[in-house]
Amino acid sequence: MRTKPINEEERQKAFAPVRSEEIAERQNLHVRYNVEDFDVSERPRRFLEAFAAILRHTNYRFALDHFVRISAKCSRCAVQCPVYQATGDPHDIPCYRSELLLSIYRRHFTLGGLLKGRLTGTGHLTDEKIQEMADSFWNCTACRRCTLECPVGIDHALITHLGRFILSEIGIAPRALVVSTREQLEGKTGNTSAIPLPALMDTLEFLEEDMEEELGVKIDFPMDVEDVEYFFIPAVSDFLMEAETLMGIAAVMKATNASWTIGTEYYDAINYGLFYSDRILERVIRKLYAESERLKTKKILIGECGHASRSAKYYVPVHCGGDKAKPVLNIMEYTYKMLKEGKLNLRPGTITDRVTYHDPCNIARQGWIVDQPREIIRAFCSDFVEMKPNRRENYCCGGGGGTVSIDEMRPYRTTVGGKTKADQVRETGAKYLIAPCANCKKQLRELMEDQGVDCEVVGLHDLVYKAVVFEEKKKTEDLIAKKG
Amino acid sequence: MQEILDFLRGPAFRFTFVLMVLGLLRILILDIWGAVDAYRRAGDKKLAWGDAFRKTVQWLFPVQRGFNKRPIYSAVSILFHIGLIAVPILLYAHIQLWDGSIGIAWWSLPEFWADLLTITTMVFGFMLFLGRVGSANARFLSRKQDYLWPLLLIVPFITGYVCSNMAVSATTYQLTMLVHVLSAEIIFVLLPFTKIAHCVIMPLSQFVVALCWKFPARVDEKITKTLDKEGAPV
Repeated sequence: MRTKPINEEERQKAFAPVRSEEIAERQNLHVRYNVEDFDVSERPRRFLEAFAAILRHTNYRFALDHFVRISAKCSRCAVQCPVYQATGDPHDIPCYRSELLLSIYRRHFTLGGLLKGRLTGTGHLTDEKIQEMADSFWNCTACRRCTLECPVGIDHALITHLGRFILSEIGIAPRALVVSTREQLEGKTGNTSAIPLPALMDTLEFLEEDMEEELGVKIDFPMDVEDVEYFFIPAVSDFLMEAETLMGIAAVMKATNASWTIGTEYYDAINYGLFYSDRILERVIRKLYAESERLKTKKILIGECGHASRSAKYYVPVHCGGDKAKPVLNIMEYTYKMLKEGKLNLRPGTITDRVTYHDPCNIARQGWIVDQPREIIRAFCSDFVEMKPNRRENYCCGGGGGTVSIDEMRPYRTTVGGKTKADQVRETGAKYLIAPCANCKKQLRELMEDQGVDCEVVGLHDLVYKAVVFEEKKKTEDLIAKKG
Repeated sequence: MQEILDFLRGPAFRFTFVLMVLGLLRILILDIWGAVDAYRRAGDKKLAWGDAFRKTVQWLFPVQRGFNKRPIYSAVSILFHIGLIAVPILLYAHIQLWDGSIGIAWWSLPEFWADLLTITTMVFGFMLFLGRVGSANARFLSRKQDYLWPLLLIVPFITGYVCSNMAVSATTYQLTMLVHVLSAEIIFVLLPFTKIAHCVIMPLSQFVVALCWKFPARVDEKITKTLDKEGAPV
């Protein structure tokens, strides 16, 4: 499906200034997100220093060398980018966005660029270029759809990722992400939503009571149990916002007699580092892994969250021992495995209303989790329809790349980033939109509201909760029925 | 004229051809060396080799992927590339020259196909140029070399076709042949230093990307130290 570009009214709404002119002037930064005050002096010099330090200690350099040599500027990526499709602005073509950083790399970090720069005295990094990157890199939802289409294989999302990383090192990163991460890594509560442990315990106790009342089965959220199979860790916001998802997961774990635990010293899988800083990404991964070590679990089980799953799945091995690191699974992989092995029974036809499924980019783009949720859905939903395109080719919810957590970007996210997704959902006529990701859920709810689409956004396990068959309970009921 | 032509066909050809081969080898080796070094530094050595290979094949033979979006552009681009690669290498007249100079020969294209591919390469190359000029997006992204390359690449095809298929005077023939050889040599020289280098390193792209997402382990401490940010808050 190809969405129509936004009209003038939507453009005005999406691009309305979100920061006061005074702050923008003081920070010499005109962007659509708030930024904590930072040192504005000599920004180009500090940007280049940060760039050099990152190149020195990471693997980006050889990829940039490769990209500057082959970039053909064919503009083919434009056909895949939901942001460009909505705005129609050539500044939003992924290849143009990448060129912002590639041109700096070429000019300041390659021999040819340095010589040419010396001879012509042009092309050097300026404040204006930093301004443009700070704006452009956060207009992108980092959905990586453009990578599907580049004939020469440039990964524009990788370049955006690096660009954001360098900018963050000179103090330009969305305040919403930075403040949350500071609380997660250095704050008292140790999580991005600042939920204190007692509040978490109360919530879980309350959910246990709810489940017993609703299902007639006693289901626990095991805390700090050592030597179990799975260390379960969801996006911490689920404890506040997605109780039904957690209840569904607990129900599956109970029905399959899983050996699992939640940790009390660290219970937040959110990793905003994936969106703006490899240093932060690494610190969060190490903190998560340390908790699994403390609890001596065999595996790490991430809740319904795309970016948390991707960051743990791919960066636990990187930072915590390579092959020897504990395996990381997403909860949907677990549920699917149990279903296939016959250890989990879902009542067929439990949900008769039409449902559709949104593939979170972070778990679908590389083809990691695409068929598993569909098989689970088909086991208990009788009217499942697909959005088109789907799976690896899915469209982003519009809040990807961390932008969903930046509240001041909501008009942009729901008008530009998520426009195609809203059209896709509308076309299915579904009552339930299943989105197994904390970020996608938040964005999609706001999107449905702002775009006027009548569809309820739920997690996969929210619905699974209604369909789980508990064998013990079933046996008792059958016995009573027999006797009766 | 004949002396200039002899020079261009002889020493100049050998020099530019060797320069091209060495230049392409250089970037190929640099690319592979970079990949090996990145693999050595990667904290996780488990790569999705199969996926990278699948994507590489998909784009080397972009029949399925290419036609999903922008089918006309894809067809033009694919046919242009086929002619661009096949004709210079498999043209009987070129093979004869190799045979005469170093005694190596290989299978050549039948004349009909060689002529057809020459014509399609000229036409589609010019269409690619027009496509770039005519598309607002492409114009917005394009550098000078992006406009010049399709035009430069079809010059040897036009001149080659004239020399082999048209009855022209000896002087015109010599002049056309001179442009033919000279344009090819300019291409040889520029090729390793411009985007056309993708002819040798493009098959590595998917592996480069897969490798780059595998970060080296524990870089936080090193970058923090280099940037003198030890003890600074998040």
